[in-house]
Amino acid sequence: MKLSLGAILAIWLSGLQFVAVLSVVSFYFVSSERVLLDHATTLIGEVGRSSTEHSKGFLEPAIRATELAKRLIESDIVDSSNTEELEKLLFQQMQVVPQLSGIYYGDDQGNFVYVMRSEEHAEFRTKLVSRDNENVHTELIWRDGDYNIAEFTVDPTDKFDPRVRPWFMDAKKKQNFVWTSPYIFFSSQRPGITAAIPILSASGQFEGVIGVDIEIDEISRFLSNLNIGDSGVAMALSSDRDVIAHPNSTFIRETDETNTLKFVKIDQIEDLVAREAFGNLPNFNQVASEQEIEAEFKYNDGKYASILIPGSNHDLPWSIAIYAPLSDFIGGIEENRTRNIWIAMFIAMVTGLIGLKIANKINQPIRDFAVRAGLVASGEASKSLANTQTYPELEEVSETLASEIAQRKTFERIYGLTFSLASRGMAQIAPNDGHFIRVNQQLGDILGYTTKEMAGMSIFDILHPEDADSYISFQKTMFEDYEYNQEKRYIRKNGEIVWLQVNAFLIRDHQGEPMYAVATIDNRTAQKKAESKINELSRDLSHFARVNMMGQMAEGLAHELNQPLTSLTQNVDAALLTVNELPNPDPELVEILNDMDRQAHHGAEIIRALRGLVRKDEGEQTNFDLSELLDQTLQLLKPEANEHEISISFKEQDIPNVFGNRVQVAQVIMNLTRNAIEAVEASSANERQIVIETYLRDKFIEVHVIDTGPGIDPNVDLFAQFESSKRDGMGLGLSLSRTLIEANGGKIWFEPKNKGRSRFCFTIPTAVIN
Amino acid sequence: MSRIKDFTVYVIDDEEDIRISLTRSLTKRGYKVESFTSAESFLDTYDQSKSGCLLLDYGMPDMNGLELQEKLIKMEISVPIIFMTGHGGIPQSVQAIKAGAIDFLEKPFKQKVLLEAIKVAFERAAIVNQDTEDAKALKAKFETLTTREKEIAQFIVQNPADTSSKNIGRQLDVSPRTIDHHRARVLEKMDVTSVAELIEKALRSNLFSS
Repeated sequence: MKLSLGAILAIWLSGLQFVAVLSVVSFYFVSSERVLLDHATTLIGEVGRSSTEHSKGFLEPAIRATELAKRLIESDIVDSSNTEELEKLLFQQMQVVPQLSGIYYGDDQGNFVYVMRSEEHAEFRTKLVSRDNENVHTELIWRDGDYNIAEFTVDPTDKFDPRVRPWFMDAKKKQNFVWTSPYIFFSSQRPGITAAIPILSASGQFEGVIGVDIEIDEISRFLSNLNIGDSGVAMALSSDRDVIAHPNSTFIRETDETNTLKFVKIDQIEDLVAREAFGNLPNFNQVASEQEIEAEFKYNDGKYASILIPGSNHDLPWSIAIYAPLSDFIGGIEENRTRNIWIAMFIAMVTGLIGLKIANKINQPIRDFAVRAGLVASGEASKSLANTQTYPELEEVSETLASEIAQRKTFERIYGLTFSLASRGMAQIAPNDGHFIRVNQQLGDILGYTTKEMAGMSIFDILHPEDADSYISFQKTMFEDYEYNQEKRYIRKNGEIVWLQVNAFLIRDHQGEPMYAVATIDNRTAQKKAESKINELSRDLSHFARVNMMGQMAEGLAHELNQPLTSLTQNVDAALLTVNELPNPDPELVEILNDMDRQAHHGAEIIRALRGLVRKDEGEQTNFDLSELLDQTLQLLKPEANEHEISISFKEQDIPNVFGNRVQVAQVIMNLTRNAIEAVEASSANERQIVIETYLRDKFIEVHVIDTGPGIDPNVDLFAQFESSKRDGMGLGLSLSRTLIEANGGKIWFEPKNKGRSRFCFTIPTAVIN
Repeated sequence: MSRIKDFTVYVIDDEEDIRISLTRSLTKRGYKVESFTSAESFLDTYDQSKSGCLLLDYGMPDMNGLELQEKLIKMEISVPIIFMTGHGGIPQSVQAIKAGAIDFLEKPFKQKVLLEAIKVAFERAAIVNQDTEDAKALKAKFETLTTREKEIAQFIVQNPADTSSKNIGRQLDVSPRTIDHHRARVLEKMDVTSVAELIEKALRSNLFSS
């Protein structure tokens, strides 16, 4: 399908901007989300790392305190065997580092010094366990901030042995700084963690372990204070999958069946999102040693991002785990995005409409031009194409077009008029297959079809079967660029046969390719019929003449002979009577006279038989058109007249039909006209003319054959048989004519020369109308 | 009653031999014969009062036999005509017979046939003569009637459907009794026995034809 310029403009202008807006919006849609998600992940990562850093910062003083104590002991600045010095050292550390909830030293002999914060008696409490073989002495000393003793007691039940504690064994075994797994302090019921570091002698001998207890409640508080979006959560996870810090500190503690407090495992925490985010990590030990793990997940139709920062990378005894719903980060953006899409759609629509309007405006002059061109082409408007606004390019085209169309219209009109007003049939015929491209009404009438019917037909549909080869000659003639001109039979719609004179030639286009054949067609049927009628008449006349000449002669002879025979028989009768009157009649004479009478009658019989033998049937008498017969008969005589340079004219009148024998009347016309031709031929007059006239006289038609010949010798009995003014005439023509005319109920006579013209006249009765 | 001796045969033929031989043979047979060369010459001298018939050639120059027949009919001359023709068997014979010709004889004809035809013509002429005489007699009797009687006689002949006295009286504005009286006088004077005879005779004689 071809699109109009207007449609193309509209589609392109509005479609293009729509696609542009759509692609910007969708690009923005996709990319903004990605950026936001990246941003969210980064943000979470940042929070995680800062949490890690915070954790490190939180733990660092404790670690430094242990390391300081270690160095002091190892460099023998503090004697580890001197309990008092050691307690003092540990007490100082407690004062300096607030994170510490307790610091202690246990040696390989099972001695133990432990300074911790106290909530009764004084700020701090020291526990001293000294062991000598199996004798264990345990003292408890409460001191204030200035190291003054506030209380002192001995606890003989306390047999605490540091060497069996996990922190001691770990540090001793690893000979290095160790963290214990986080746990919950029995006394404070707060989460905590223990760091331990072995003390080695100068010779590298293991002497004991310094340990510190750190309450990590602070970490939970820190984590809960973190703003991670609106509802992001940061947690600390131990390598045992324990949740050791959570903004909601109640989530992380539980009591087991032995009524001891312990941490909640990550896959059992009441924070279900956290469970979803991190609970499925199969082996946390392994995970803890790996790189940061970033993930996105769905929970309850909400989208979340998560990150796990393993502590091992940062010398931390726990990992930091954070999750946050993405909507916290992109919710606003999403709303904004929806709004933007609406705005974009609105803009797309508005600009689309503007685009259509512009397309329309651009196209308007072209459309107007097209409309006007159409109007001009169909002849409904004059060539006022330049009247309305348009483009200069189109104006030129329109001027050219208008004049072209005007020219073509003129040509078409003239051609069309020629075609449709032609008195003859006309057709455009495809030379290849012979179908009718165009026919005029006249051809349709000739063949009995409508022009519409003929449009679907080819020349084969109307060819007469016996003239079927005429198309081959038609085509051959066409392609050889000769003019085709033939008279052939064709079939009308009602099956009648028509004789058509077809005259055709081929029209070629500018490249010389055959376009169509233009044919002019004349219906020759009437002429053909007339010709065949004339031929028939001629045949009839010659036959008639042949038969009638003899008949006429026999008739004439019969008449001529019958007269004397009649006189003879009458005289014989009189003679017989005379003889019988005699007194003694001679019987022989009577017999002779009787024989004569019989023989005379016998002769008459012979004549009668002869006449019957040659007499043509009188022929049928019919109604016929005398004018037509005159015309046809004169046609037959034309060649003879032309030969003698004599003109024959017949003024056809509107006369009624006549009744009689057509051939006999034709014979009379023939005889009279032929006589006239011979008379004129013999004349030396300048005027060599024969005129036939007809008149309606009462119940007869009078025919006058007028010639400019020399006239007739008045001494000749014109209509008598065997009398002629012609040297070689038999004297039968006029007598025959008289016989024929009288047989048809008419009269024949001669009017002598008057004003240089002689006329033979005859009448024939008009037809009786039934 | 006319006699054959008083009967004239008028031979009309343009051929002299025919005229002479026919005159000769018929005269021998006892007929009065007058011959003419043409129809015109016959008409010039023809005397209607004489009883006779025409022996007429059909094919003659100028006025032919048929034309003469036509002319005689127009002139109300009811003379019997016998046609002769040398051509024979032509359609005009029918026309001639229809117009009252006795016969149409083809030349040459047997004498017997001709005499037969003349005999028929003679009888026809006799009847015509008788009728003419009867008509004359009837006319003479009619002239003896009074004006009223003439009137009544004419009414009876012209209205044969209802000849009752009542009807005649109403039409002529005369009483039926008077009509009865007049009618008896008419029948007596006209020498007829009944109204029916009166009507028949009057019609045959064309008494009230004009």
